[in-house]
Amino acid sequence: MPRVAPADALQAEPASFRDPRSRVFEADGQILRALTEEGLADWNALSAPTLARDLTAAGKLIPTERVADGDPLLRRLPAGYAALLRHERVPFVSYPYEWSFGMLRDAALLQLDLVEAALGEGLILKDSSPYNVQWRGVSPVFVDVGSFEHLVQGEPWIGYRQFCMLYLYPLMLQAFRGVEFNAWLRGSLEGIPPGQFRPVLSVGDLFRPGVFTHVVLHARLDRRRAGRSAEVKAELRAAGWKSELIRANVRRLRKTVSRLEWRPRGPGWTRYPEDRPYTDAAAASKDAFVANVAGMRRWRSIWDLGCNDARFARIAAGHADHVLAVDSDPGVVEQVYRELAREGERRILPLVIDLADPSPGLGWRGVERKALDERGSPDLVLCLALLHHLVISANLPLPEVVAWLRSLGAPLLVEFADRDDPMVQRLLAAKRADTHADYRLEAFEEELRAGFRIERRERLDPGTRTLFFATPA
Amino acid sequence: MLIPRAIAYLDPGSGSMIVQLVAGGTAAVAVTAKLYWRRFLRVLGIRKDEHEPPTS
Repeated sequence: MPRVAPADALQAEPASFRDPRSRVFEADGQILRALTEEGLADWNALSAPTLARDLTAAGKLIPTERVADGDPLLRRLPAGYAALLRHERVPFVSYPYEWSFGMLRDAALLQLDLVEAALGEGLILKDSSPYNVQWRGVSPVFVDVGSFEHLVQGEPWIGYRQFCMLYLYPLMLQAFRGVEFNAWLRGSLEGIPPGQFRPVLSVGDLFRPGVFTHVVLHARLDRRRAGRSAEVKAELRAAGWKSELIRANVRRLRKTVSRLEWRPRGPGWTRYPEDRPYTDAAAASKDAFVANVAGMRRWRSIWDLGCNDARFARIAAGHADHVLAVDSDPGVVEQVYRELAREGERRILPLVIDLADPSPGLGWRGVERKALDERGSPDLVLCLALLHHLVISANLPLPEVVAWLRSLGAPLLVEFADRDDPMVQRLLAAKRADTHADYRLEAFEEELRAGFRIERRERLDPGTRTLFFATPA
Repeated sequence: MLIPRAIAYLDPGSGSMIVQLVAGGTAAVAVTAKLYWRRFLRVLGIRKDEHEPPTS
């Protein structure tokens, strides 16, 4: 086959290159997946029985259709591919290091569900990566239909090791040791290797369900048997390995994962009531201001930066297709996630993101996992009770914070808490007296006017906080 | 129908595969016994080494 690509060939998504049978492309706002002959055979095996339809109807698999013969898109298919699929777009792409504990756990359970469902049709998932799970609101959905392939009889579960490294160990780390997994997963896209996780556990942890097999034994054998995969695979086949064993492992893992619990503690958990307005009247005014601005029109995407308990994200969600609600505190995001899941809210995605250190580009060439602002753009930004944390606690210069907000290119609803605000006083008390001298309402307003036109302004009772609605100038 | 041979792009990890025998619980006892019996015979020189034929 000639290797000459058409001039308008589809451009591959930079994160999609590991699986040789299936690659994601984006064209004209559509999410497409090109399949090789082998990849197409796997897709047929998934879509021919009712499996794909059932999983899609259950909300577990991203809706996918095959691009029909004769569609002009097929002419733009690079050489080596046999077919093209079209996926429903998820509202916002997020990564496991931005999820709370419950989100990663629910994604793990989804992954196990899919493995079990696939086994029932003689299929398996070739990997176990939470990067294949995305969110529609707080519902996890599996997006990589290319993961499904024929199960070769006598072959063990290839994705087991990856399941441990990217799902099980991060969850155990947080559930057993109280260490939030986010930093580790951001630092290691492959997850936590067995040999690295074993020393983290205490003696008491070794007696917890699943730890001896999945961690202790795994770490020991991982070290001793490196580089002998083909040999062991052949031995297992000869000894009569059958898919029942995968099923048994998956069922036990499901039990182990379901039992993992994390109860957030510490200052983060109690932070947000302090950042609420100080009188009922002020709270009502703030709610009304947000509702008024959000109600001006229908918004495609609203970003709520520093969402706390997502009170304002909920108000805004009534007027938006999608709300991204981010907070730096994994405990806060966990609570929001649980509440939204209970409420059945489908428009708000809560994520753990510290805006003073937002997710950068990571992985191969730094583009495999994209930086936060490369994954979408808001058409309205809420920035409530956040500025003083960024400027005073995180030491970000006020003009730079405003310039960054301006770079998002959207109308802005922002709250400024002045120096006499009790919360600001507390933050300032931790600093030397002469720091943050420029943190004043007048200075902020001047910075704001440099990039925005102030449309509305309201001082909240008792007068230490001011709300602004501003549009890019 | 021709079933394409799975060529895993991930290394399953030889140790991770053996762990799956333990994780398989009682269902895996017979397979585990057979695997180690064959290894035992091989060590004694009664059974020759078996390798998977190359697939590509």
